[in-house]
Amino acid sequence: MALSLAVCLFILLVAIRAGSVYISLPDLFKIIGSHITGRPLPAEVDPMSDSIFWTIRTPRAITAFLVGGCLSVSGAVMQAVLQNPLASSYTLGVSSGASLGAAFVLLCGLTVSGISGFMLPLAGFVFGLLTVAAAMLLASRIDRNVSNQTIVLIGMILSLFVTGILNFMMTFYSDRSKQLWLWMTGSFSARNWTHSAILTVVGAVCFVLLMMLSGRLDILTFGELQASSMGVEVKKTKIIAILICSLLTGVSVAFAGVIGFIDLAAPHIVRRIFGPSHKIVIPMSFIYGGAFMALCDLAARTLLSPREIPVGAVTALVGAPFFAYVFFTKGRRIA
Amino acid sequence: MELILKNVTASYGREKVLDDVNLTIGEGETVFVGGRNGSGKTTLLRVMSGLMDYEGSVMAAGEEISNIKRRNAARLIALMPQTGETYFQYTVYQTVLLGRFARSKGVFGNFGEEDKEAAKVAMENCGVYEYRDRLLNELSVGQLQRVLLARTFAQGTPFLFLDEPGSNLDVKYRAELCDYLCKWAENKTSTPYGEVKNTIVAVFHDLGQARSVCGRTVFLKNGKVVADGQSSSVITPECLESVYDFDVAGYIERQII
Repeated sequence: MALSLAVCLFILLVAIRAGSVYISLPDLFKIIGSHITGRPLPAEVDPMSDSIFWTIRTPRAITAFLVGGCLSVSGAVMQAVLQNPLASSYTLGVSSGASLGAAFVLLCGLTVSGISGFMLPLAGFVFGLLTVAAAMLLASRIDRNVSNQTIVLIGMILSLFVTGILNFMMTFYSDRSKQLWLWMTGSFSARNWTHSAILTVVGAVCFVLLMMLSGRLDILTFGELQASSMGVEVKKTKIIAILICSLLTGVSVAFAGVIGFIDLAAPHIVRRIFGPSHKIVIPMSFIYGGAFMALCDLAARTLLSPREIPVGAVTALVGAPFFAYVFFTKGRRIA
Repeated sequence: MELILKNVTASYGREKVLDDVNLTIGEGETVFVGGRNGSGKTTLLRVMSGLMDYEGSVMAAGEEISNIKRRNAARLIALMPQTGETYFQYTVYQTVLLGRFARSKGVFGNFGEEDKEAAKVAMENCGVYEYRDRLLNELSVGQLQRVLLARTFAQGTPFLFLDEPGSNLDVKYRAELCDYLCKWAENKTSTPYGEVKNTIVAVFHDLGQARSVCGRTVFLKNGKVVADGQSSSVITPECLESVYDFDVAGYIERQII
């Protein structure tokens, strides 16, 4: 566990340091040190690199890390709650809902004065959560027991429906849909400290709440009947967990667009290494998912520099073979 | 403390599985529930544990069971299901320890020393302690069944509902299980509702096993109770034939040994 933490700090450092502008490691430490302790920057450090590293690269790397962590935790919990190893944060339509919200802003020019800068994430967040709420409401109307099959099916149907609306809109505004496409494939460019701060707060609150549910999640993987007989209020736990996951996913999508794969794969890799107990799976998914996302973002901005690859493409391109490697070669409990 | 069912009806969709069942399970009783496949045995156990919707009334500890908080209900009644698989690979020990959930403490649901001790004792009693660190998918069906049994015992409840607990066990384990159940039924268990005498309600398909554990027999047929009384007076050739639509006594006589 301590090893994992160290590795993830190292990855963050690499992610911050690497790029077209070079910086020596001591200088980087001086910059970070001066900001954390509040002391003025030592004279020998170039103020230019300060602004590149402190106001551009560090918040970008940290935002990527937090988004990766939030998505992975939410994926891990969804898989447990729905007892479905293929479930992910996006199973209930957060991504398509958020994309529709973004489409309203980018294509139709929907905006509210005063918060225009935050309009895109806000719309993505609100529409993402609305879609989940609609899915849950529909599922509970159709099926009084809110069974997992119903939830997954309704989520898929609603997601496809919303995507249909989205495609319909894109044909009408084809001139502006490139922008939307860019947003939908995910990016961390120009993320600042405000993004990191919001993600940290939401992520921390959700994390603590999910840790409180971890025992219930373990039991839920054995099925709802057994969970109930062992003392879990199944319906309540399920709804609360799904809402927390949607919040995590919603806030991630709002700041980074739709980035797939990590939320599905990271929890499986973590379970392979550490076993399925959620007291460990939740924190480890956060660390591993975050570190993996930071690496993918690094690849996205450096591989074809100065062009940027959509980070969503990188996660799947790098992730799928890695996932296969871990899954087919490594047994459990290698750590 | 008693468990009282009044005019209980339960269904899956449009299929009525329990039909106007009236039954009282007294504290300290050992009850065998028998009947053919689909006669409603499993459903009866589920309804009595408060795990399924029903019409009518099921009273436990003076309260309607559907109104009791699951956490409290789980300290009163433990149900051992017929199967218990999960995609995720928990170890035997982790699985058995989960049975202690209703007693876990603090907002993060930590397990204390007594929980770990109870899980250990349950594993020893069910003969699974030696492979406590194995994963569930590395076990045979019979071993998995004993793990589930251990988890059910670890729950530490006075009411034990068992759904074919011996179906996959070899003959030695079956005999040991019967002995252990008989011994267990003589004790008491403390609950949030005070001390309660241990009570067993079990579905068996092996009539010998049923008779060796249970003093009372309830037969179900098409969702209705068709026979109820002392095992020695209910399990008769005539009664068995009418319950199972088959000459059970003759079949047993023809069997080898």
